[in-house]
Amino acid sequence: MSNPAKAVHPASVKLSQGLGIGYGSLLAEVTEDIPLENGTHYLLARNGRGKTTLLKTISGLLKSVAGHFETTGCCQFVGDELSFDREISAKMVFHALIPAERRGEAFKLAEELELDVTKQFGKLSFGNRKKVGLIMAEYRLRDNEPNIIFYDEPFTGLDTPAREAVRQRWEDTEQDVLRIVSCHPDFDAMAMPSALLITDEKIFRGGNGKLTWADFKDRLN
Amino acid sequence: MDLFRLTLSTLIARKMWVVVLLAAIFTPIVFPYFTPHETATKLLEPARAQTAWTVTWIIGILWTLSQAARFGDSNSRTGIGAYFRSQGCGPIRQIFGMWSAIMLFLLPVVAIAIGMCVLFAMPSDATEASMWVNTNLQFAALFLLTIGPLALLGIGVASRFGALIGYVLPTALCVYGLYGVGYLGMTIKLPGHNPVLEWVYALSPQYHLANLTPRLIFKMGHLEMGAFLGIVGYFTALTLVIGSFATLMFRTDPLRN
Repeated sequence: MSNPAKAVHPASVKLSQGLGIGYGSLLAEVTEDIPLENGTHYLLARNGRGKTTLLKTISGLLKSVAGHFETTGCCQFVGDELSFDREISAKMVFHALIPAERRGEAFKLAEELELDVTKQFGKLSFGNRKKVGLIMAEYRLRDNEPNIIFYDEPFTGLDTPAREAVRQRWEDTEQDVLRIVSCHPDFDAMAMPSALLITDEKIFRGGNGKLTWADFKDRLN
Repeated sequence: MDLFRLTLSTLIARKMWVVVLLAAIFTPIVFPYFTPHETATKLLEPARAQTAWTVTWIIGILWTLSQAARFGDSNSRTGIGAYFRSQGCGPIRQIFGMWSAIMLFLLPVVAIAIGMCVLFAMPSDATEASMWVNTNLQFAALFLLTIGPLALLGIGVASRFGALIGYVLPTALCVYGLYGVGYLGMTIKLPGHNPVLEWVYALSPQYHLANLTPRLIFKMGHLEMGAFLGIVGYFTALTLVIGSFATLMFRTDPLRN
C-alpha cells in the first residue's frame, strides 16, 4: 500500500486545558494541554460521555462551550452515520470523490476489505457500508498539506480481518496523517500507543506508548 | 465541486433521468395524435408545443423539485453535509453544489422542449418562425427562473425539516403562483372584496407570467423586449428573496445536532 499524501508539515491538534465540549451545557472538559501530531490517537469513553461531541468540536462542526483548541491541517470528519444514496455504488462514489491518481489504490484496499464496489450502497451490509466511507476518507488526503481525519466509531460492523487491514493501512501511513479514532475495542490485546480518555466529565491523555485496550478499559467510568 | 460530482453521480445512478428524457421526447410526439387532428390538421403543431412545455413543467415540478428535496434532506441526515463542512466546504458551496447538479439535469429537458417546438411545430411563415423561436427562448429563460429558485428552496427547507416539507412547500408555491394567483386576481376585482386579499395578491409569486404556453398555442408572438425584461427583473428579485431564504434555511447537519 502506498502512502497517499506526503505532507510538507505534520498535522497537529492542540487541545488546551479548559476546553469544554457539549451541546450548550458542559459535557466534558480538557484537564491538561494535549498536543497531538501525526499518528493514530484513539479516543476512548463509555457511551454518551462526549466522544462524538469532542470530534465534532475539533473538526469545526460544533462550537466549544469554553476554552480553545487549534488544528493544523485539512480535516475530514467521518461520522458514524456517514452513508450514501441507496442506489449509488461504491465505485461511483470513489469516481466522484477520489482523485484519479489514487483511485487504483482505493480499489485495491476495497478488494482487500472484500467490498463489492459494484453493488448498490443500499444493498451492502452494515459493515460494508462503513468501509465505503472509510476508504473514501483514506484516499481523499490532500497532497503537500497536513491531513487530519476524525473517525467516529469506524470499526462498528467491521469483521476482524477488515479491522486488521485498516489498522495496517493506518500504521503504514501514520507519518503522513493525524487520525483521531473513537472506538469501542472488542479485544484486550489491541495496541493503543496513544489514547485520549473521557471519564468523569474530564478529557485527558492516557498511555505511555505501550499500552493496550486492556490497560485502559478499567479507567473508563 | 466534490458534492456537485457526487450529486451528479447519484442522479445518474437513480436512473429516473431516462424516464424523464423519454417522456420529454415522446409525449410531444405521441400525445397530439389524441386530438381530432384528422379533421383539423392545424391542431397538431400547437398541440405539440403545448405538450412539450406542459411536460417540461410537470418534470420540473414532479422530478426536479422532488430531487432537490431528497438531496437537501439526505445531505444533512446522512452525514455527507457534516463531512464536507469539516473539509471546509461551507453551507453556501454545498447548497449550490447540489443545486447546480440538479439543474444540469433539467437543462436537456428544456432543450428538448425547445427542440420539439422548433423541429416539429415551427410555423412555415418566416416572420412567425422567428417570433416562434424567440418565444421559446423567452419561455425557457422564464421557466428556469421559476424552477431554479424553487429547487434551491426545496434543498434548503428539506435540509432542515425533511424531504416531505422540502418538496411540498416549493411545489405548493409553484402551483399557487401558476394557477391560484389567477383566481385570486379575479376575486379582488369583484366589488366588496377583502382588502387583505389585495395584499396577499401583491405579495404572491406571479409564476403564471412565466407560462408562455398560450402565446405558443395562439401564435401571439414573443413578449416585447421591455415587457420581457420587466418580467425577468421581477423573477430575478424573487430569486434573490427565495435564494436568500433557502440559504438561510440550509443546514449541513440535522436539527438538534
